[in-house]
Amino acid sequence: MKKNNPLLKVIKLRKTFPGVVALNNIDLEINEGEVHALVGENGAGKSTLIKSIVGAYKKDSGEIFFDNQKVDFNSPAQAFQSGISAIYQENSLIPLLTVIQNIFLGAEQFTRLGIIDEKKIYQQYLEITEQLGFELSPHDKVRDLGVAEQKLVEILKALIHKAKFIIMDEPTASLSADEIEHLFRIISELKSNHISILYITHLLGEVFRIADRITILRDGEKIDTVSTKEVDQEKVITMMVGETLKDAYTSKFTGHEKCLETVLKVENLKRKPRVNGISFKACAGEVLGIAGLRGAGKTELSRLIFGADKMESGQIFINEKPVQIQSPLDAVKQGISLVPEDRKKDALILMLELYKNITLPTLNQVLNNGIISPSKEYAIAKQAIEKLDIRTSGVKQITRYLSGGNQQKVAISKWLQTEPKVLIMDEPTQGIDVKAKLEIYNIVRKLAEAGVCIIFISSEVPEVIKVSDRILVLSNGVITDEFHQGVTQEEVMRTILKKSK
Amino acid sequence: MKKNTNENLKKYWNLVSKNGILFIFLLLCILLSFITPGFLSWPNIINVLRQSSIIGIMAIGTTFVIIGGGFDISVGSLLALTAAMSVGLQHHMHWSLAVLLVLIIGAIFGFFNGFLTAKVHIPAIIATLGTMTIIRGLAYLYTGGYPVYVEAPDFAYIGTGYLGPIPFPIIILIIMVVLWQFILSRTRFGRYASALGGNKEAARLSGVKVDYYHILTFVVGGLMAAMAGIVYASRLLSVTPLAGQGYELDAIASTVIGGTSVSGGEGSVVRTLIGVLLLTIIANVFNLMGIHIYVQYVVKGAIILSAVGFDTYSKYRQ
Repeated sequence: MKKNNPLLKVIKLRKTFPGVVALNNIDLEINEGEVHALVGENGAGKSTLIKSIVGAYKKDSGEIFFDNQKVDFNSPAQAFQSGISAIYQENSLIPLLTVIQNIFLGAEQFTRLGIIDEKKIYQQYLEITEQLGFELSPHDKVRDLGVAEQKLVEILKALIHKAKFIIMDEPTASLSADEIEHLFRIISELKSNHISILYITHLLGEVFRIADRITILRDGEKIDTVSTKEVDQEKVITMMVGETLKDAYTSKFTGHEKCLETVLKVENLKRKPRVNGISFKACAGEVLGIAGLRGAGKTELSRLIFGADKMESGQIFINEKPVQIQSPLDAVKQGISLVPEDRKKDALILMLELYKNITLPTLNQVLNNGIISPSKEYAIAKQAIEKLDIRTSGVKQITRYLSGGNQQKVAISKWLQTEPKVLIMDEPTQGIDVKAKLEIYNIVRKLAEAGVCIIFISSEVPEVIKVSDRILVLSNGVITDEFHQGVTQEEVMRTILKKSK
Repeated sequence: MKKNTNENLKKYWNLVSKNGILFIFLLLCILLSFITPGFLSWPNIINVLRQSSIIGIMAIGTTFVIIGGGFDISVGSLLALTAAMSVGLQHHMHWSLAVLLVLIIGAIFGFFNGFLTAKVHIPAIIATLGTMTIIRGLAYLYTGGYPVYVEAPDFAYIGTGYLGPIPFPIIILIIMVVLWQFILSRTRFGRYASALGGNKEAARLSGVKVDYYHILTFVVGGLMAAMAGIVYASRLLSVTPLAGQGYELDAIASTVIGGTSVSGGEGSVVRTLIGVLLLTIIANVFNLMGIHIYVQYVVKGAIILSAVGFDTYSKYRQ
């Protein structure tokens, strides 16, 4: 391997969002033909870093050198032209075009008459697939391919567009064991062709199999870049989690130790492929944390309990009585509420006023003989605004114009009027600033103290530990572990990372 | 600071985009009262309102459909069928029963449209394109292709009579606007309609029976088309199977000119009425000025594009 200048050099890259420093002066060097892993917990800044490199985000400051030239991409398309290709979890192929059409999209060869030169393209396709040992049917439509094959098509597309550097964002997330093996073989093939790879993942097992070096991010800071040979998994986990932070996050609220009343019980809940037989109990006044990686089935579980999706089998009990939940409306009637993960898509009607969002699930309470009473409605909305300290210009503000944290509070407050027995919160602090996060934690604890059973779902382990009385770890659609108060972040992280593949 | 002014700007933008149509309408009226003497005279006002009544009644239904996130181009055909039936059925029953039955038939076709979109998941414009064609066919089948004529004078009163100095169709229009505006802004149905048009999944996850209310908006669309059909028949005193062609487009145009969001969620029946009046007045003035009908089409199209463009572009900016 040549050891001259690095292919990609990032110097003091800084990126902030309103209220958050997402990346603080990150340095990164990637050599030619290197497989470089980027690891860190959710929210550590991995995605922000790659998006800033390829120009999907505008960086605040810092410099990027690629192939010995200073670059400042305005868009991923520009980066792609220059030889940096990013492969995300969701593919960016056109489903109705064939494999070969997708691969050569934007790099077609033409005959002198301006007609696409199929022969030449096919020749080129054969050369490159032979070189890498791929077997694909070039004339199949992409929509008919499996996820793994689609990944291959994306890699081929990158190569045809002369990529020297390929970023892979959690490429194994939806692959089977065999497919992962195949991908790894291809990665080493790419490596021997002097192509560099930045490999982003949660799964340390994979990292140690394929990466030459590892860069660890935590809370927007670069902790270190280490050679894979010089460290072990334990060490990397410690770097990801951080020794000092551990104490800050284990400062506990006084939770309920014993269960006074089982409010929610689910038995053998199933909806393939993401929920594969889940059973648990949750008590009044308890915050039950559910931790796990993205794709572990957390969101799917919450949607099943809430009746947003239909379960294949299983039974839900409320106060020890079996209940049939076929729709969200049924769930609401049983006292179950859900604050969904994607508040803009699933929780709020952004174009409508705040008060209309707040009273939507409880319109009954503001009806007088079937007619909405504006004074009642405003009063309820005002009360909600005060209770959760929603910062707004008034009840008639259009919800779209609130900040993320305040929107999230609206998404929570609309359920409080229903006086839920069970409140499920799916990633309630996602995409909001630190201060709003703390406020959400306090709201969660206050509701629990008032006797509400809270299911707190999050892929950020520190916050799960911070707010929960009890923690279930979800992995591949089943519960793998249960932790009680006093558990450390490291223990939980370790279980999560080891249990997944 | 910059962020603040930006937000203020957005608020003003919002205010203008919501009420802009009212300003334009008033401005136009003032302008026309200078240009055209007698524009604000009682007979002319009555004339404009009466001309607006049929489309106006229909457009109330269209407003509900669009607020709920749907679209319905079958209402023009439905007007023809229901108008013909309201006359034809009088051979078999008292006219008042015929009127009642026709309203129910309108609602049933509306239900069918709603069912096709909510349950079968056919895109609304395609579903109602299908039913538009079917219903037009039914109108031909029902009439045998010939005009039908109104005979009962009591029935004719609906379209041609007066209540005091005011033509009866105007009375119907105003009562309907007030009633449906109230339903839209002060009842569960109205609120849920705009919630599901604004974000169907969020409404569903808030415990709203979205399919039910989605279908109900189409039922209102069908019901109001039938009511427009009854007024049409009783006003013109004859119905051909070709009646109401293009009315659906006028109703949609008035609705969007009135500021109802094309993608659903927000809108108002009163503003739709202003949209209807605006289109009528423009046609009215063009006729007074002797401008050819061909030009009127071009201008009308341009107005629709500006109104909708304003709405969609301001959304895009956000």
